[in-house]
Amino acid sequence: MGLVRYIGRRLLFVAPQLLGIIMVSFFLVKLIPGDPAVLMMGPNASQQALDELREKLGLTLPLPQQFLHYIVNVVHGDLGTSWQTTRPVLDDLMDRFPATLELVTLALLVALLIGIPLGIVAAGRSRGPIRKLADVYGLLAGAIPDFWLALVFIYIFYSTLHIAPAPLGRLDLEVVAPPIVTGSMLLDSLIAGDFDALWSSASHLMLPVMTLGLVNAGPILKMTQSTVERTLSSDFIRYAEMCGLPKRTVMRQAVRASLPSIITIVSVLYGFLIGGAVLVEIVFSWGGAGQYAVQGVLNADLNPVLGFVLFSAVFSLVVYLFVDLLYFVLDPRTRG
Amino acid sequence: MDQSAALDAAPVASAPASLAGGPPGGAARARSGPVGFFLAVLRARPMFAVGYIIVLLMIFAALLAPWLAPYNPVTAAPDDYLQPPNALHWLGTDATGMDILSRILYAPRVDLTIAILGTLISSAIGAPLGAIVGYYEGRSAWRRALSVLVMRAADVLQAFPVFVFAIALVAVFGQSLASIIAAIAFVNIPIYLRLMRSQVLSIRGMRYVEAAFVAGASDVAILRRHIIPNAIAPALAQLSVSVGWSVLLTSGLSFVGAGVVAPTPEWGSMIATGFQNVTTGQWWPSVFPGIALGIAVFGFALVGSSIEVLADPAQRRLVGVKHAAG
Amino acid sequence: MNEDTSPRGLGRREALLLGGAFAGATLASQIAGIRPAHAAAGSTLVIAAAATPQSLDNEYDASLGTIDAIGQLYDSLIQFKKKPDPKVPSVLREDFADHPELPGGLAVEGKLAESWEVDPKGMFLRFHLKKGIISNWGNELDADDVKYTWARKFALNAIGGFIVGLMGLPNPDAIVVEDKYTVTFRPSVPNPLMLKLQLNLYNNIFDSKKLKQVATKDDPWSRKFLENNSAGYGPYELASITRGQQAVFKARANYWGGKPAIDTIIYKEVPTSATRVSLLQGGAVDIALGLQPLEIVRLKKVPGVTVETVPASSMMWIELNTKFPPFDKVEVRQAMNYAFPRDQVMKSIFQDIASPLTGCMPDIYPDFNAKANPYSYDLDKAKALLKSVGLESGFKMEISYNAGDPSQEPIAILYQTSLRQIGVELTLHKIPAGTYYNEVSARKQPMIMFVDAPWGPDPGYSTRLYFYSKSFVDYSNYANAEVDKLIEDGSQMTDIPARNELFGKVQDIVMKEAPWVFVAFPNFTITRKADLQGMTYYSTNAFRFADFSRKA
Repeated sequence: MGLVRYIGRRLLFVAPQLLGIIMVSFFLVKLIPGDPAVLMMGPNASQQALDELREKLGLTLPLPQQFLHYIVNVVHGDLGTSWQTTRPVLDDLMDRFPATLELVTLALLVALLIGIPLGIVAAGRSRGPIRKLADVYGLLAGAIPDFWLALVFIYIFYSTLHIAPAPLGRLDLEVVAPPIVTGSMLLDSLIAGDFDALWSSASHLMLPVMTLGLVNAGPILKMTQSTVERTLSSDFIRYAEMCGLPKRTVMRQAVRASLPSIITIVSVLYGFLIGGAVLVEIVFSWGGAGQYAVQGVLNADLNPVLGFVLFSAVFSLVVYLFVDLLYFVLDPRTRG
Repeated sequence: MDQSAALDAAPVASAPASLAGGPPGGAARARSGPVGFFLAVLRARPMFAVGYIIVLLMIFAALLAPWLAPYNPVTAAPDDYLQPPNALHWLGTDATGMDILSRILYAPRVDLTIAILGTLISSAIGAPLGAIVGYYEGRSAWRRALSVLVMRAADVLQAFPVFVFAIALVAVFGQSLASIIAAIAFVNIPIYLRLMRSQVLSIRGMRYVEAAFVAGASDVAILRRHIIPNAIAPALAQLSVSVGWSVLLTSGLSFVGAGVVAPTPEWGSMIATGFQNVTTGQWWPSVFPGIALGIAVFGFALVGSSIEVLADPAQRRLVGVKHAAG
Repeated sequence: MNEDTSPRGLGRREALLLGGAFAGATLASQIAGIRPAHAAAGSTLVIAAAATPQSLDNEYDASLGTIDAIGQLYDSLIQFKKKPDPKVPSVLREDFADHPELPGGLAVEGKLAESWEVDPKGMFLRFHLKKGIISNWGNELDADDVKYTWARKFALNAIGGFIVGLMGLPNPDAIVVEDKYTVTFRPSVPNPLMLKLQLNLYNNIFDSKKLKQVATKDDPWSRKFLENNSAGYGPYELASITRGQQAVFKARANYWGGKPAIDTIIYKEVPTSATRVSLLQGGAVDIALGLQPLEIVRLKKVPGVTVETVPASSMMWIELNTKFPPFDKVEVRQAMNYAFPRDQVMKSIFQDIASPLTGCMPDIYPDFNAKANPYSYDLDKAKALLKSVGLESGFKMEISYNAGDPSQEPIAILYQTSLRQIGVELTLHKIPAGTYYNEVSARKQPMIMFVDAPWGPDPGYSTRLYFYSKSFVDYSNYANAEVDKLIEDGSQMTDIPARNELFGKVQDIVMKEAPWVFVAFPNFTITRKADLQGMTYYSTNAFRFADFSRKA
């Protein structure tokens, strides 16, 4: 069966790729100045205590050996401990990754809802206000720093108009989080039937999702518009037009033919946003995984950085794999 | 930066679709006078002209800042701190009394240096590598293995969360222009690699390439004389987009404190440090550099799409038709 | 500096200090009287701070979040009496002035201790503990707890090591358990600070039974446990802590002083100060900590928000590392001080919510030498000083500062501009907040900005911290044999006037030799909702949430 062989071949690459990612990030992160032992014990620790801790953490071993230890631990599901939170990195990421994922997924949906219809409509006409709007939006969305837009939104909707809730995480302070089932606040509060939590989490999602959605609709819009445009000027569409098929049918065919490129850009965006939403996470105190990693880099807390890189790499690979499978199903040519 | 990375990703992802078939741009250029054609395109799409004007103005500002700027951009004037826009300080002053207009005018020096150098380095590494990989793909077994290896390595590089990777690089090499440039160059390499590879893949099978091969030209000669010149156009278009994106990435680095050293005039760090004051009602230290940054990236994006149009025969035809019709 | 006898002084606080079950009853009735109908509204206090506590172990960590947590979880044996601030009467502050007429020379009152005896010659200090005080683990306080607390300082020898040194305690045997409720400190040499240091925030008493129970062979002093837990006799206990997000404290019903007025404290991490401002303004939090001067000035005009700002023990300075040339030369260090635009910094950066640092110890402490400061903003003098050591063409230098404190960068920028005029080219080097303290303590930067407060209201304590060459916080590597000798002599001197004269001299020398660039005394400021009351300023700059209640 072609599909199984295809998946097998893809998976063959995944393990060495992951190893490569861990290796590069491990040696890079180890170069970050800052002695974890000093940071863990604080500036007032005695030299002897520091030496003991270094010994215990394996920091006295040569780097390749440390790397080997790390890999062995990762295989056993141990990503080390963060000195900032004093918790196992795996636990921390299990808390934070769903927060990022929920934010990013919703933002991507918003971006799709803006980008695809606008792109298709704009591709169908070469002038007019919609085309102008699409052109300007596509360029502008790529020109605005998302953190800046987020700050402006907070200033307008929270500080001035008092419509949005405080930019402080995923829930109001007085709302108790629903029991974790999926990790998504929205879904979990639905499952628990807790409408206070549902409302609270939805209102907290509003601004960050808007920010990321508006900004990331740009590339989706451009992609949709340009591929649909190209398809419309391609021979088979011209042929369909010449045959006198209704405009609607022709358009549908063109969109369908453009689907692979659109799926590709969405998958790339999805993987990218896991780490790319970090500035927006910081602005909204989201408590997401990206924020966790950036704090890790800045404060020489190395295990969270490695753990995050690993998590997001696995996530990206899974998304890409899924997309490839989708192609495989959609496009018979790849089955060769 | 996320949005712009996605912008980068866009042409990468679209490359196979857009470039399947159709003669390469270079062949068509000979037919019409390049300057005349360029002007025709600008007339047909006046927005492109705006893009070129923005980019030129920015280069102009960078070169002439010492004569244009009314104040020294790094001298504090503590008695004049946080002045709103007025006759003396057209765009107001920041928390240390520095003139915001002067700093905005000086900023392209830093931002463009980082962005242009970072982009050039990444394309200089990524594009040739991509060409070689594309050229060798599917040839003899070991060459094929090599190209697969390079592509998987690029996958590894791209699987990194760009922003975290860039901060880590800056953290390792210290907060300096050089390390920011290095970080930006590094994260851009896979884009050029992929772009070039997919271009070369589609050109490789062309008659004239096969002809050269049959004529006994060496691989190096074929790559240099026939393939790279004909495949380079999308990479060139990408350059401009990358420059805009790099400016955004630099500003993001500054936002988390991993950017340029204070008080170097740089848009991103101005936005970040100035935002402190927005909540207390002084919006100008943050909003003006934000607008300047937006305009700059906008300009580079326009120039990028104009190059795309100029290089893509199908698009050229569209523009030409429109021009004739209008 | 009279004893406070006004009616407001006889509030909840005085009741707290009577001790025992009776006081608890009084307190409960008073709270009931104050806010009969607002129990629900008053039950939670939300605080927006820059960071959650790091470790909860006071041996290793003195970050802001940590000291705020320690103040809730633990109690000390005694405390200073309080009086209203002369300028902001709604704020109480400790009375740490010299009181030669009182035993031990201090206006103190019991907390975990019922009474105490001070040897006038400084050779012993005896405490009689209150009976029936219960920890958050249900264990009763006894003399072994006091002994354990100090034995731990000796064993771990970090922050506590400094304190036992100051108190002249040679080894753990100097703390003698006399009976279940009596414990005596016996320094090896006469010590003037024995009583004063008992008040230190980090000399709180541990519940030794609990800590011994959780100790392991590898970890005999239960360090791992104390990172995330507490075992003490304070008014609150830790309900949960998620670092980087929040810490929650619950009032203890069986607290010896009666259950505090506020039931639940939520200590939220909100990294950007601009967001903390919006939160307070929007009413989502009750107190916003660590705000910038401009934000404070603006909040003063916001209805429903009250700003209280009082002079404090905090000092901001720039370490001039004397191991780095040219800072090995006194003249250069003096020139750096003459070239610092102190008044401009006060005005434009601090918005006058600070005063110029005119000494090398807090000016609110007793025996501050107000005449020691020779510096004013004088570039000509600075130039002349540089010329006198052949540096008239200036030099290049790097200044490091904390990215976590937004006021430091603009100060560095103002300084940079000013120094350019005497030929000194300053480059700015921003250090992430997380690694900043290690950078300071490593002493590998030629110039680094620092904000700190000596907690002990005493010239001996302050100068020994920063200017004694063997001190672990002598971050400028300052070493002067005369200063060392004076500090050592002073630490055993029980004749108060003579001791004050001696430390006055120390301050004179240090100011003249300028191991620091003297920047500012930042005020302690609380920005809070108007319906809170009970703010008390402590020389540790930490809060004690048990002081707060809601207005009726």
